Amino acid sequence: MNDIGEFTLLVALATALYGCVAYVMSARGNRIDLYLSADKTPFIVWACVTISSICLWTAFLTDDFSLQYVWAYSNIELDTFYKFSSFWGGQKGSLLFWTLLLTTYMLVVYFQNRSKNLRVVPYAMAIMLAVVVFFLFLINFSTNPFERIPLPPEDGRGLNPLLQNYWMVIHPPTLYLGYVGFTVPFAFAVAALISKNLDDSWIRLTRKWTLISWFFLCMGNLFGASWAYVELGWGGYWAWDPVENAAFMPLLIATAFLHSVMIQEKKDMMKVWNMSLILLTFSMTIFGTFITRSGLIQSVHTFDEATLGYYFLAFLFVIMAACTALIIARLPLLKSANELDSFLSRESSFLFNNLVLLGIAFATFWGTIFPIISEAVRGVKITVGPPFYNQVNVPIGLALLALIGIGPVIAWRRATLSNLKKNFLRPVIAGIVAAVALYPFVPLGNRAEIYTYVTFVLCAFVLTSILTEFYKGTVSRMGLHEESVVGALTTVTWRNKRRYGGYIVHIGVVLIFAGIAGSQAYGTHTEKHLKLGDSFEIRGYTITYEKLVAIEATSIKTRIIAQLAVERDGKRYWTGHPEKEFYKGQNQPVSEVDVLSTWKEDLYMILADFREDESATIKVYVNPMVSWMWTGGWVIAFGTMISMWPDRLEQRRRLDRVRKQEQLFPSPAQE
Amino acid sequence: MKQKKVRFLVGSLLIVGAIGYLITMGISNTSQYFFTVDELLSQKVSYAGAGLKVKGNVVNGSIQRDPNDYLNVNFSIEENDASLKVAYQGVTPDMFIDGGEVVVEGTMDKNGVFHANTLLTSCPSKYEAEKEAGKMHPGKFPKADEYQKPGINKAEALPKTTI
Repeated sequence: MNDIGEFTLLVALATALYGCVAYVMSARGNRIDLYLSADKTPFIVWACVTISSICLWTAFLTDDFSLQYVWAYSNIELDTFYKFSSFWGGQKGSLLFWTLLLTTYMLVVYFQNRSKNLRVVPYAMAIMLAVVVFFLFLINFSTNPFERIPLPPEDGRGLNPLLQNYWMVIHPPTLYLGYVGFTVPFAFAVAALISKNLDDSWIRLTRKWTLISWFFLCMGNLFGASWAYVELGWGGYWAWDPVENAAFMPLLIATAFLHSVMIQEKKDMMKVWNMSLILLTFSMTIFGTFITRSGLIQSVHTFDEATLGYYFLAFLFVIMAACTALIIARLPLLKSANELDSFLSRESSFLFNNLVLLGIAFATFWGTIFPIISEAVRGVKITVGPPFYNQVNVPIGLALLALIGIGPVIAWRRATLSNLKKNFLRPVIAGIVAAVALYPFVPLGNRAEIYTYVTFVLCAFVLTSILTEFYKGTVSRMGLHEESVVGALTTVTWRNKRRYGGYIVHIGVVLIFAGIAGSQAYGTHTEKHLKLGDSFEIRGYTITYEKLVAIEATSIKTRIIAQLAVERDGKRYWTGHPEKEFYKGQNQPVSEVDVLSTWKEDLYMILADFREDESATIKVYVNPMVSWMWTGGWVIAFGTMISMWPDRLEQRRRLDRVRKQEQLFPSPAQE
Repeated sequence: MKQKKVRFLVGSLLIVGAIGYLITMGISNTSQYFFTVDELLSQKVSYAGAGLKVKGNVVNGSIQRDPNDYLNVNFSIEENDASLKVAYQGVTPDMFIDGGEVVVEGTMDKNGVFHANTLLTSCPSKYEAEKEAGKMHPGKFPKADEYQKPGINKAEALPKTTI
């Protein structure tokens, strides 16, 4: 089995290399024979990588500890569930997993575009294959997951208990699906540049890919946040850790890209900008991998082998240099006919939205690499922490929030006073009402509380502006057709999936903003060393420490559980069971927190320590509005689904375009 | 037309400038020097009072907890034969153990004691398992009975249930 896995990886590398070259040669020299031969490679590469992955999975599930990787990340007693996910538990497997996803995406692109768009697709396939070659090269020659141990040990070392959480099965694949997905729009963008096919067809062809990748990246970030929240036991969900930043930056730039392509589609503007954005997004995904795998920047997520990072750095430089050169070479072709007319217009709100998103991305980037820069320039390592990111990104984030309310409703080209009045009267009034209504209730003692107040007011403004759009659409539909309110709302949304799906995503974003603001400013926490029967108060909850129990859950796991009674207004309200788990073979315990989550606030308990006399240290957080963020995430998911749902009108338009193209450049099958 | 372009350029530059200003201010207000213990002690300038971040390994047996206030911890960290006394108030992370690598954030007082307001243990992730285990190379593997169970002995004293 292991030999097969190793061998298929080599075959995949060779085939991918050949395919890459053959695709380019066939497109340049118009050679159909070569094209037909190259066109078989995506499937072969995918099949080889899949077989190899199955081999590794089999090794995990059958406890084959002759593989160093399996030995290091699994043991006999591990749950099957986690044996399955140990596949991406470490460096080597995660690279193979990455390649598996990439080749699968590539295969889907291949089937989608078979003998279509022949001017662009061969180049796009070649670019994707080139990326695959890079990863396969690393897997084959630097971090081979099929590396053997000559004398196989009897049992493995086991998976880190922190990774033994169901999020381990969900979060990394989701994030990877997002990361990897941007390779597709990137490949098509570069293909468009190479083949000088510079209308917006590459954007339309890859719109769904961009959306899907964006969606997975967004969800991956949120899942990561909730994993950190329930597993790491520090009461927070985001620490501005370099690796978190590495996942956050591509998300920001991709968001900018998603918005600015609309301008290109509608107005044929910002062509160079869009090219640069997709290049930047892709580079950021590689940069993120570089950070995670180089050990250059201290982070909780770092992988072990430090040398691998430099391959990624080299790869990054090659991509950046080549693509920049390509964009510059094609500059004359990327000129756009239209210009911005007025500050007060939809177009410029898109421009500002882009600048603001890139601003947040740049601030985050700068903070992440600042230690390296300061060491290089001044010889001293200077680090910045969460205070820096909060101080810089919060004001920019608020500007972004305001733009969410303004952008979608402001008139195209040039907004007149009457337009503005018509579109913004209601949202502004809602904002003012919220400001007045909230003023007596929210504390405004420090900067965080003032920011939160502003956030809430802006949220009211944005929500009203979005809901007004739904209201207008529904009313005009009801005026024309005899439909109920719900019926009209559904039809309007269904007929304009892109537009209203986008609005729903915006609502989700507003909820996330509100959740972050509430939990950052109004949270409180305390830590107490308690004897049995002791109690204390926090935010109106009376918490009593009742007992401490040790349970031998399995032969490898011992759980120490504290029981805490929570009373509110004299009545028992909830019983919390924070615990600590000790795993055989791991030299550190794992804290399992217990959370009571309501829409208003989370009560979050950690068993920090305990002693033989059954006294224990308990840390309690009260985090307001955290659940709003998770709800916002589901709303975003729902909105993305709607805007991604196949649109028959859109498909018809696209088919026409494809036909037109094929007349210009007949596919080899027809010749 | 020209004029319009200039106006947009100015507008965009204003935004970019504002963001740049925020970043510079942010850096100068919140940055911390990052040293390992030996680097810090070999500095000629005194960093007393400045925001510092220091990395080192916990000296074996140096962790002392105040018997009356469990959350009050004193310990030392070392790196390349240089060591530093640290005072910390608060819950310690799971991985805070003898020999473990930690990063403390806080300030130095004049007596050379470091007052930490944040205590981070490095990398709980198995990705760094090899490094963590130190002597254990990928080729070598531990015997089945070699694992340690610190803390579990504390649990022995507790009422036991089995499920």
